[in-house]
Amino acid sequence: MLLEAKAVSKAFGSFFAVRDADLFVDEGEIIGLIGPNGAGKSTFFNCLAGDAVPTTGKIVFAGQDVTHALPEVHARLGIGRTFQVPATFEDMTVLDNVMVGAFLRHPHHNDARDRARQTLELTGLKAHTDMAAHALGTPGRKRLEIARVLATSPRLMLLDESLAGLTPTELQEAIGLVRRIHEMGVTIVIVEHIMEVIMTLARRVMAFNQGHVIASGKPEEVVREEAVIEAYLGRGRHSKRRRPT
Amino acid sequence: MLLLQVIVGGLLLGAIYALFSSGLTLIWGMMNFINFAHGEFVMLGMYVSLLVVVWLGGGPAVFGFASAFALFVLGIFVYFSLIRYVLRGPMLAQILSTFGLALLLRYTAFWIFSANFVSLPQTSLSGTINVGGILMPVPQLVAGIIAILLTVGLHLMLTRTTVGSQLLAVSEDRGAAMLMGIRPDRMQALAWGLSAGAAGIAGALMAIAYPWSPSVGETFGLTAFVVVALGGFGSVPGALIAGLIIGLIQALSAFWFGPIYKDIVVYALFVALLWLRPQGLMGKA
Amino acid sequence: MKNVRALTPTVLLAAGLLVYPLIFSGPFYLDVGVTFLLAAISASAWNIVGGYAGQVSVGHAMFFGLGAYAPLLCYTLFGWAPIAGIPFGIAFSVALAVLIGLPTFRLTGHYFSMATIAVAELIRIYFGTWDLVGAAIGLQGPATARGWWDLTFRSELPYYFIFLAVLAILLRVTFMIERHRFGYYLRAIKAGERAARSLGVPVQQVKIKALALSAAFTSIAGSLYSVKTGFIDPESGFGILVSVQMVIIAALGGAGRLYGPLIGALILIPLQTVTNTWFGGGGTGLTFILYGGIIVLIARYEPGGVSELWEQVVSRRWRRKHAS
Repeated sequence: MLLEAKAVSKAFGSFFAVRDADLFVDEGEIIGLIGPNGAGKSTFFNCLAGDAVPTTGKIVFAGQDVTHALPEVHARLGIGRTFQVPATFEDMTVLDNVMVGAFLRHPHHNDARDRARQTLELTGLKAHTDMAAHALGTPGRKRLEIARVLATSPRLMLLDESLAGLTPTELQEAIGLVRRIHEMGVTIVIVEHIMEVIMTLARRVMAFNQGHVIASGKPEEVVREEAVIEAYLGRGRHSKRRRPT
Repeated sequence: MLLLQVIVGGLLLGAIYALFSSGLTLIWGMMNFINFAHGEFVMLGMYVSLLVVVWLGGGPAVFGFASAFALFVLGIFVYFSLIRYVLRGPMLAQILSTFGLALLLRYTAFWIFSANFVSLPQTSLSGTINVGGILMPVPQLVAGIIAILLTVGLHLMLTRTTVGSQLLAVSEDRGAAMLMGIRPDRMQALAWGLSAGAAGIAGALMAIAYPWSPSVGETFGLTAFVVVALGGFGSVPGALIAGLIIGLIQALSAFWFGPIYKDIVVYALFVALLWLRPQGLMGKA
Repeated sequence: MKNVRALTPTVLLAAGLLVYPLIFSGPFYLDVGVTFLLAAISASAWNIVGGYAGQVSVGHAMFFGLGAYAPLLCYTLFGWAPIAGIPFGIAFSVALAVLIGLPTFRLTGHYFSMATIAVAELIRIYFGTWDLVGAAIGLQGPATARGWWDLTFRSELPYYFIFLAVLAILLRVTFMIERHRFGYYLRAIKAGERAARSLGVPVQQVKIKALALSAAFTSIAGSLYSVKTGFIDPESGFGILVSVQMVIIAALGGAGRLYGPLIGALILIPLQTVTNTWFGGGGTGLTFILYGGIIVLIARYEPGGVSELWEQVVSRRWRRKHAS
């Protein structure tokens, strides 16, 4: 078991963003996390990545208890993550952005640069190597974030809506990229609203609503579960909730 | 007896600290922004009072209002001309903006008013009253009490009125506030006006009771930092309690160790606070 | 030929600085030159933590002052050559840096900035009361040289070259940092601390190291100052002007860039010399007003300083040229 999150809760004051969530990930899996906005997915991600300290519960990665560890420790152990709103280093070049990631496993400048260049090639960003990050559009930034994290040679990658807002062609490319990364041996947990991504990539899916895990299993089964449909559409004809797209 | 007098004196001064520090903490809590020129706002309030007395011959009510109003306007002006832009920018710009403003205000005041200490000519508030053996100068007593009332008033305004809840809404969640029809820009400008106004009127109160020069801005600014750090990020009640505590500590330090040490102890307390309890008494860091 | 082009500015700069005192050899010009170098050293030292890492210290005078007092204290107490005191200044400054960095770097940036002002003021006031360091009067160095090691020269020329050497070393160190992982991590922290953490950057450690390194070099600048002038007091060591000058020079020229502080000093030191003589006695006050105004303008319009402004102008011309 690569990652074990047991009974994780995260409260802000008296409000529980995540309540008693479990997640077990084996090495080599691709897991999807779905649920309406505000269901607690990103907060849960933050707990897994070390950005937030769980109020209760335990998170163990590769045998190490990381519940209270700093985000940089999570990263060093092999957990990488992207951000829902891309947090690229705007004033630095694409190459420099990725080099910051590469330096984690390659302390020397030239090695880091080579690793960064290699990662840029893999993620299709080679043409933008010397461009400033702020000159990229949002899809470019999302891809840069993926490249940057990939350069840290993670064992587990947490992708937070990294495929949102793409054109159909870009989406196919991105799905292909995630698949390639997975084939390289990286375990992936992906939060997405786009059902196509979840259905094609994820082998297992967890559905969140109001901080709880309400369903878990194969993608085709989970999306048909009543609780999940209710979460998205609401009960009865009077609720106006989002459909899963 | 003397000790009791020192304590009361410290608390009264601390009340004024509380008043202007609540302005600083309001901004900090709302925009995660520290106004390094806040002490200078207090200092300007003091000089506005002086000018009103000298030119118009007004009494405490007149110059109190004048200081509050003048600084209120200045606060809004500073927000629209400077703060609004740097809020979206890098940390360097944010810190330099009010730091530079502080220098500008402080040394312009030095240039206009010179470095001499001044005080207000005798106002209707003068003399000393004897309360149970403690001699309290009337100006200090009045200033301190009004300061406490105003600070409590500010807190009530923030928590009980519509405008107050709009201000708090913006500080909690800008996006949500916008969706509810509140204009964050206007609210933030208002907050700056209130913050500066609080500093202005605190200056007027200060001027009633104590002499000053342009140099006090720097000291008040640092005092405000300590009060706000002790009281907690964004907490006006915290600022009230912390202000009183700091005033008390300052008075006792001067009494026991000597006047030079009153600032040293306060700044040292600040450093200790950062080490031991950065979230202060009532806030989150 | 790329390397030659890249090196040209450095070579020209070095040549200019080396040749300056030989062309402008009068005592006035030498004094300006020495002041310029000292300002460039201090600002470049500040730049490491304030410019590259984005941790804005507005109380860096505390390190400058410690570095300035150490040599003269060693001379006054033990009769040593002042330069022997330099390592002590560095040691105290680094210790202070760690002491300040440990609690404040865990919190938001504002705490650090506030702490730097508070500590600088605290030390300034305290030194003004402490008899060991001369209280308000301060300390003096050897009036006449007991040997070459006292470094009391009649002409400013030797000081010029010593300061130039120190500046060269500091710039070289900064340049090496830029290429090293440490430099990338500094910039990452400035650009986005949360993202930096997610990539394994040990943010707390890196910030403290940056502050310590910056403090060490600032301390050296302070030592150079007090050895040269042979005098130090709380105001000239820990005063707010010292802190402000470092910040404004680095920010004006371009914070976070190798030559930013140098450019800032090149603009500001001659300017300051002019305003100080123009306004006579009231000079310092008006200089401060000017500084305050400049800082506000930088913050409002161009936080990247003159370097950024220049780059934008150049790139606009390039774009216009290549548009059609």
